[in-house]
Amino acid sequence: MDPREVVDSSCKGPVLFLAFSAITWLLVYSIFSMLAGVKVHASGMMADSAWLSYGRIQPASQLALQFGFLVQLGLAISAWIFSHRGRTVLVDGGYLYIGGLIWNAGVTLGLLGILSGGSSGLEGLQMPAHILPILFTGFVLVGVSLVQTNNRRTDEEMSPAQWFLFTATLWLPWVLGSAFLLIYYFNAKGVMANIIDWWFIQNFTKVYLTFVALGVCSHFFSSFTGRGVIGRGYSMFAFWVLLLFGSIGGVTLGAPVPAWLPALSTVTSVFYFTGIVAIYYVLHHTQNGATAVDESDKDNLTLMRLALIIFALVSVLNLIFAFPGMASTAEFTTYGAAIDLLYNLGFVGLLLIASLYHIFPRLAEMGLSPKITKVQNMAFILGFLVATLPSALGGLMSGDAVLGSGFYFSSVGDLLLLLASLLLFLNFLGAIIMVIKRCDCLSGLCGKQQRKEVKA
Amino acid sequence: MTIGLSFIMGAVAGSVAYFMLGLWWPVALVVGIVAWLTFGLFGLKMDSAFTLMSGAILVFCISLSMMIMRSSDQLSSLQYADTVDEAGTEFRYPVPLLGEAPYGENVYRSNGCSACHTQQVSHEGVEFDIKALATEKNHSAVKEAVNRFYRVTGQPASSGVALGLPVGEWETIALGASVSDAAKARSFLSAAGASVDVQVRFHGEDLEKDEFSNPRGRGWGKRRSVARDYLFVERPMLGSVRIGPDLANVGARLSRSTLMRILLNPKSVRQNSKMPQHSYLFELVEKSEGKGLIAVREGEREIYYKPTKDAEALVDYLLNLKSANYPLEEAPVYQPFTSSLPKPATSEKEVEKLADGEDIDSSK
Repeated sequence: MDPREVVDSSCKGPVLFLAFSAITWLLVYSIFSMLAGVKVHASGMMADSAWLSYGRIQPASQLALQFGFLVQLGLAISAWIFSHRGRTVLVDGGYLYIGGLIWNAGVTLGLLGILSGGSSGLEGLQMPAHILPILFTGFVLVGVSLVQTNNRRTDEEMSPAQWFLFTATLWLPWVLGSAFLLIYYFNAKGVMANIIDWWFIQNFTKVYLTFVALGVCSHFFSSFTGRGVIGRGYSMFAFWVLLLFGSIGGVTLGAPVPAWLPALSTVTSVFYFTGIVAIYYVLHHTQNGATAVDESDKDNLTLMRLALIIFALVSVLNLIFAFPGMASTAEFTTYGAAIDLLYNLGFVGLLLIASLYHIFPRLAEMGLSPKITKVQNMAFILGFLVATLPSALGGLMSGDAVLGSGFYFSSVGDLLLLLASLLLFLNFLGAIIMVIKRCDCLSGLCGKQQRKEVKA
Repeated sequence: MTIGLSFIMGAVAGSVAYFMLGLWWPVALVVGIVAWLTFGLFGLKMDSAFTLMSGAILVFCISLSMMIMRSSDQLSSLQYADTVDEAGTEFRYPVPLLGEAPYGENVYRSNGCSACHTQQVSHEGVEFDIKALATEKNHSAVKEAVNRFYRVTGQPASSGVALGLPVGEWETIALGASVSDAAKARSFLSAAGASVDVQVRFHGEDLEKDEFSNPRGRGWGKRRSVARDYLFVERPMLGSVRIGPDLANVGARLSRSTLMRILLNPKSVRQNSKMPQHSYLFELVEKSEGKGLIAVREGEREIYYKPTKDAEALVDYLLNLKSANYPLEEAPVYQPFTSSLPKPATSEKEVEKLADGEDIDSSK
């Protein structure tokens, strides 16, 4: 038996489970963000129920996107990469089930908590306080399996992809746990709670999500093109610079906090960009001018290249808007939220979905429908572009406290995203059902039933 | 790892140690050299999870101590301050929420008002105008001080000062000076024995409109928000996106009935408002009995809405939001020249306060 198949069969259940729940959360996200957009256009709609007010739907959709979709799909893909890069079976895959169940329970309870009015009022941690320990436990349980798989790897030297994924797996529970302890257990006073909150958001996007995406990116670029690991030194430089400067900052320009905090954030953003340049150099040279070794990966490579372009675009914008002059024009407008969404969906989300396209046929032994996949990819790409770019531009042009026409475009984008995520969900569900139908275990069960019928 | 790349790593480590951690420079130098040698000469490889994890723990501690611990050290000593309200009465600030307002804060929180409304007033800049008065006795010393100020700040001498400082008359020394320049002017001039008068002007979109200094002002507050404003707030809802106006000072701007109307149907107050209606905070009632009902004309007849307990509490809370209204030491409000004001009706003490401890000859 091909060793790759052994590895794949060890990943099969847990990874597909996490991936399927992630895709479901993407659908939930797009439904909620669609509803939130509707509230802006028709202010009288659904005005009679408290749980459908904009202030509850909007944070709920963010929770579904970040914690439901991105983190969970990231874990699924990391598990697969750890076992493939390390040429080992997934160790203790059962932890992925238990951890995944707890994580999903946490996100669900958090979503219900926000909708029923238990929101914490902090931006990145909108879920009620008691949800955070549940999420922490779920993530740590999944992490136990990932770290063990990484420790059981066959080559001693870790590749850049493994550095990034390994550190990301460690980092999220650390920041999540510290944010919980500092805000709720040590009762941070006044704006300290906001500073901790900004620190968490900064670590979540600039370290956790970025590292997951970069790890996935560097693994698949080198494996699709067959070029192997290049520019190890640059990756190492980027790794430490991104980790150090991505973990500090995130305080907006005019925030009512000591003035050194926004200044420090500007400084770290500039240093962070040097790390981005280094890792972009490596990733660019890994895939530039190469064609996919395997014909079936051609489209996935194209999607990942698009994600890399969006990564570069957002990073340059983040650098430019880190400086006080530009930051003051963008502050409090829809620009910031739109660019964050572009980063989450266009870079991290697109990368993870593209890698899922690669992984899925190997695990399920049958592919997603290629026609639907094409349509959903187009809808997804158009969707996040239309949902974010006009709204970002509109925010810059009209300033704060005004909603420009960009917001109308963004609803079209939301609609496209809803279509894409629905297609993705159905596509995935259909394929899974087909797999289960063909699977021996179920036919075994059916066989038993048939035998019973015969007996009767 | 190449020697050049490891040198960059060393340089980064050294500068982080010096600039950001604030270590003594020889220590920072040693840190840099050690990092350079570890990566370059001894060829530290990132091949083990152990190296990665210990490095990551180190970075995590740096991050936590630099951002969280440092700001906590600074903010934990924050206390009450004395301030004056519009009527000139002194009181201790901030005032904790009373009555139904804390419950209203929960309503604000649970309905996610902070998704569209911020609670932080920011300013773009502060400028100081400085006037000085020289007497016959100290005229030459003051003139010397003024010249010294222009030399130090690199500004050209302007207006009457260039021609010669008049004796016994207020003369403008600097217009639109920065904080540090104003401090210099103050210290030079007072050292020379001149009387100094300072005018503080703020500009920024969020602040009160002023034809000259702040024509674009939206009047969301008299000053910027500072950390002290949120001293008693548990998890302040500062917000990051303004789809609606800032609410830090909404209690000073809007009345109870206006706020109620906005909650019920924002379009009845502002035609192009994007705010959703919050009908669930109101009950439909038959008759126009009781207090605080809102009448809405629908065709021929009138319909009456009664605010629920949540709506009342929420409006109580909003009316309590007046933070950007009162001057604080770290965030003064607009302060005009005291010398050009009519002879003070205010008490001696307040004049001293306004002038921030400077001698004022005009009040004598």
